[in-house]
Amino acid sequence: MMEKLYGYAGQTLKVDLTKGKVIKEPLDRDLVKRFLGGRGLNGRLLFDLVGPDVDPMSPDNVLLIATGPVNGLLGLTTGRVDVTSLSPLTGIFGNSNAGTNFAPELKYAGYDNIVVVGRSKKPVYLLIEDDHVELRDASDLKGSGVFETTDVLKERHDDVKVAAVGRAAENGVLYGSVIFDYWDAAGRAGMGTVMASKNLKAIGVSGTGSIEVADPDRYYEVARDGWLALMNDFGFKTQEHSVLGTAVCVGWGNAQGWLPTRNFRESYFEDADKISGEEFRDRFSVKESPIPAGRACMSCPNRCKRYGVIRTGKYAGTRGNIEFEAIGAFGSKCGVGDFDAVFHANMIANDYGMDAVSCGNMIATFMEWREEGIIDDEFLDGLDLRFGNADAMVEAIHKIANREGKIGELGGLGSYLAAKAISEKAMYYTSNVKGMDSISCDPRAAKGFGFAYAVASRGSDHLRAHPVFEMIKLPPEIGKDLFGDPEAVDLRKYGGKPEMVAWHEELGAITDSIGSCRFMHASYYTQYPVPELIHKYFKLKGEVHSLKYHEWISAVTGWNISYEELLRIGKRIINVERAFNIRRGIRRKDDTLPERFFKDKVPRGPAKGEIYTRDTFNKMIDRYYEIRGWDPETGLIKRETLEDLELHDVLKILEKEGLVV
Amino acid sequence: MKKLVFNPDLCTGCRACELACSFINEGVFSPTKARIRVVKFDRDGIDVPTGCEHCEDAPCMIVCPVRSIYRDEDTQAVILDPDICIGCKRCMIACPFGAIGFDEDKKVFFKCDLCRGDPECVKWCFTRAVSYSTSLDVDTIKKVKIARKEAAAQARARDLR
Repeated sequence: MMEKLYGYAGQTLKVDLTKGKVIKEPLDRDLVKRFLGGRGLNGRLLFDLVGPDVDPMSPDNVLLIATGPVNGLLGLTTGRVDVTSLSPLTGIFGNSNAGTNFAPELKYAGYDNIVVVGRSKKPVYLLIEDDHVELRDASDLKGSGVFETTDVLKERHDDVKVAAVGRAAENGVLYGSVIFDYWDAAGRAGMGTVMASKNLKAIGVSGTGSIEVADPDRYYEVARDGWLALMNDFGFKTQEHSVLGTAVCVGWGNAQGWLPTRNFRESYFEDADKISGEEFRDRFSVKESPIPAGRACMSCPNRCKRYGVIRTGKYAGTRGNIEFEAIGAFGSKCGVGDFDAVFHANMIANDYGMDAVSCGNMIATFMEWREEGIIDDEFLDGLDLRFGNADAMVEAIHKIANREGKIGELGGLGSYLAAKAISEKAMYYTSNVKGMDSISCDPRAAKGFGFAYAVASRGSDHLRAHPVFEMIKLPPEIGKDLFGDPEAVDLRKYGGKPEMVAWHEELGAITDSIGSCRFMHASYYTQYPVPELIHKYFKLKGEVHSLKYHEWISAVTGWNISYEELLRIGKRIINVERAFNIRRGIRRKDDTLPERFFKDKVPRGPAKGEIYTRDTFNKMIDRYYEIRGWDPETGLIKRETLEDLELHDVLKILEKEGLVV
Repeated sequence: MKKLVFNPDLCTGCRACELACSFINEGVFSPTKARIRVVKFDRDGIDVPTGCEHCEDAPCMIVCPVRSIYRDEDTQAVILDPDICIGCKRCMIACPFGAIGFDEDKKVFFKCDLCRGDPECVKWCFTRAVSYSTSLDVDTIKKVKIARKEAAAQARARDLR
């Protein structure tokens, strides 16, 4: 008899939409031992299933949804789900992650992951009720919004957990999102667009099963220690993040001078206090503050989801969850200080099923293009799309989702492909790396974050590394201990940043692969060995508590993974994503930042005068490649790196295509 | 006497209580085996924790034909003894809160027993939406809260005079 796979449900669900068939297979235990689950598992499957010639919108592309070994367990956040595919927005590795109840429910139903291939002739949705799995007709739901679709499925199938796509994705907007239970978006990289291209409107899941862990006594201790690490965290103790959610970053980012404003012209927004976390709490929150004021993903004491309702005015009745990135995208980037409009914009983007970050960025880019005379009123279909015009911004969202006029046609492509269709000059004003729009943090003002954008596997993005380390006031000794340079704790300095980004990327890959949340490892530094170092350098008394992923995973699975082995798994995950991108043509030249960050200084605010120095940046890339074991000339992965990580089959494929150094 | 008190106003919907409950009582993670349940209304942003209220006049105890449900003297918890239970499910039907569950694997009914006076769910509820308090505590907190509002209003009114 085969050894029991603790922590996992044990089955993969394969859905072939072309044939209309669903197959259940045992979970590949060798694969999860090497890649854990979630993003790691999906990345590896994507590499195997999608070759370099596949078109993202073709039936040959696959949609991968995966949970990890801690999803659905008691512990420091266990609700995150990973969605991976070849991105239609960027043409490279694409994935997105959401905090849900969906992932645990899928495991209780008996499945660790879903592999969707092919394309259905007519719209369908996938219904999973424990052992019973079927594809159902969704013709009546075609074109309907995410909220309505979710309502219908919940009504029809007794409160199932729902993942749905909206009209924007169906209309071919390249940054369509998959939205879980109304508000939780796997927003980035167009995962919803891929799902819609397969004619898969939604997935509903309910499960009644159980998940067992290998060592329950040890598990309880490890989980409790992680929990107490959060309770003792400085940041958590202030309750700022809990009470204000990610929107705490509006005030914080503005004070530190990295809040992108009027596209990326500036990094300080004069109206930030009108769109702040405090303002949301006081104006829209329906629950009493300060506790709890928020809603939580599965098993999370941080509860950072902001739920609110607009009570008066023309957007009265709009309700839902908002996050910092959406506020940055529709707020400061568009120069809009009208919170009703920003909140409303985010909610209609959710209902249309579009990534709020890419959508807001696209509109902000249109605004700057107009000011720079790159596009005219005819292009804008009569919209007075200037910075600060909230009504025009909201109108632009409708036009993009419905692909109306030139603005809708190009707006649905994202700023990179839209700029490509317009002019070289237009490209200068986009904030993309590898075709992906940047989030709300100015690279010039936050050197580590900026560097992370350049090397992120899904294009400009903070959620590969998420090096909040440089934003919080930690003793320089910790920077020295962890990253070899005390400057690592300094937002404006370059020292130790490649090391810092690499470490965060590796642990972050683990977080995304086990099904936990990035905030516990970066934002809060509950993650071993940071609490230990804080304890040492702040000379704290009493016991140190920390969240030790290696012990957590070991207690769940019984595999006994060390901290070093954990980082190795992280490296393996990152290298598979790199290998996928290499096959898609990604090289050193693509690991860069948008030109403007090397050329234009931040004009005002706390980061006034800051710029990204190109020479320094190039040296950082050299250093990063050295850490990663990649070739400094080309950016290809070195043979010995793949051998060290036991990625022999990946090596074989790259070798055949002449893509190894 | 302490009671398990559920407060939807403080609940964030994290469901740690469900997981802690099923783990301590059954050794596995499974909301369907938990004695406590958070019902989520995502569209409205409301989460409601529910479970056994250990009623003073407990309908489950009254309808049980074999007296498998009794009140514990130490904790005052309403307890179901699966060894006596004949599996007739009358308690399940009589309970107004849906607090009696059926374990499909073990084929027995189960309910909250307050973890013998040390409820695990409470240890994981950071916002105290689930608390183990005396009714006096609950009363007093509410009285003080409303009084504080009243006092603030009075003070403002006095300042205007």
